[in-house]
Amino acid sequence: MGSPWTFLRLAYLALFLSLAGAIIFIHLLPLGSGVGRLPGPDFLVALAFAWVLRRPEFAPVLAVAAIVFLSDVFFMRPLGLWTALVVIATEALRRQSGALRDQPFLAEWALVAGVTAVLFLANTCVLALFGVEQPGLGLVLLQMIFTVVVYPIVTAVSGLVFGVTKPRPRDSEGI
Amino acid sequence: MARERDTGDTYFRPIRQILVGALVLVFFALFLLWRIDSPRAERIRANLIDRALPTYEWALTPVTRLAEMAEGFQSYAQLYEQNQELRRELRQMRAWREAALQLEQQNAKLLDLNKVRLDPALTFVTGVVLADAGSPFRQSILLNVGARDGIQDGWATTDGLGLVGRISGVGQSTSRVILLTDSNSRVPITIQPSGQRALLSGDNSTLPPVDFVDDPDLVRPGDQVVSSGDGGVFPSGLLIGQLALGTDGRLRVRLAADYERLEFLRVLRSRPVSPVTVDGDLVGLPSPRAPLTIRTPTDG
Repeated sequence: MGSPWTFLRLAYLALFLSLAGAIIFIHLLPLGSGVGRLPGPDFLVALAFAWVLRRPEFAPVLAVAAIVFLSDVFFMRPLGLWTALVVIATEALRRQSGALRDQPFLAEWALVAGVTAVLFLANTCVLALFGVEQPGLGLVLLQMIFTVVVYPIVTAVSGLVFGVTKPRPRDSEGI
Repeated sequence: MARERDTGDTYFRPIRQILVGALVLVFFALFLLWRIDSPRAERIRANLIDRALPTYEWALTPVTRLAEMAEGFQSYAQLYEQNQELRRELRQMRAWREAALQLEQQNAKLLDLNKVRLDPALTFVTGVVLADAGSPFRQSILLNVGARDGIQDGWATTDGLGLVGRISGVGQSTSRVILLTDSNSRVPITIQPSGQRALLSGDNSTLPPVDFVDDPDLVRPGDQVVSSGDGGVFPSGLLIGQLALGTDGRLRVRLAADYERLEFLRVLRSRPVSPVTVDGDLVGLPSPRAPLTIRTPTDG
């Protein structure tokens, strides 16, 4: 591992962190209170999934955990649970990233949709198990669907704007 | 990650798995702590926000201003209509103002005649809305005043006109306000003019429903809703809104505070209710043993 590789990796890590920070920041802007509106997609999860599947080394587990935990803190969610579940989900995807490299995008999307569904349902189930008051299941399902729908957009932006694409075979030869 | 690197990491992979497992466990433990000892966990949260928010603050302000300007530009287009509408409203308001002035004088006279002791005027701290952690799931906002300014948990916040919510979570320089629309918010209310007591419980919609009305026949849509001060949650008599009948047939409250534009909020300093426990040496006459409270009854 030479120094340019390390530098590139650090740069992308910084990019990942700042993108996630920007997402949290936009959420926090005091523009309307979100009362009675439809839940938006969880961009943070979509971003983490996209990067972990494309370039796992750019989104290390600690960065994902830190950024999701920060969003837990800011968005007044139950502390820790969502972070733990997202870490588990990204680790599961990280393991699949090698196998998915040669698959078409639809396969990847299907896998992400499945993992997202499990993630949201697990969260709802655990909260119900611990007797935490939560919003209606309909809102959760809507957010889940929106997150899945927005995933291709997030991957497209990551790929076209930031160059986070699946490594081609000759790249990995070089590494 | 390339295959070649994977094979090289034979020793590293299990260790990594253990570390990730530990990380997940730590977060689950944190969740358990949050569930078991919520106040402490929320204090941790308040501290974290207190640390992290100032790093955002320099950027929050200009972006918010820009967005507001864009919004203002949109409304600029509808200026004429708005102007006409405002004129109409102003004419109505003039009439009301006259009525209010007369009522105020009459009220002052009656109070004087009855020698009513009013609550000492509430003092307040005004804070700026820093961030809006609102989503359809959690309705709360962050203010730039905190323990430094003497803010305490449970104090009421208004936007100058109507009640907005209550303080829940105080950091050194920030505090969180749970809005009345949040599903965790429960506020005892009085419905005027019938004086019925009820509970306003948020359900994440713009019009929070009213529960436990004593006699639903006595209230009707359009009635004024004020806080009742029951249970010492809020000072009594704060305007909350107007009663309305929801599409589902439930009684709901149209809030007086403008939730779309929360910019400055007043945090009302609640006077702690001090029960009188000492008897005898308070005044000349021996007082009955029953614990007295200083608070004056508000109905009637």
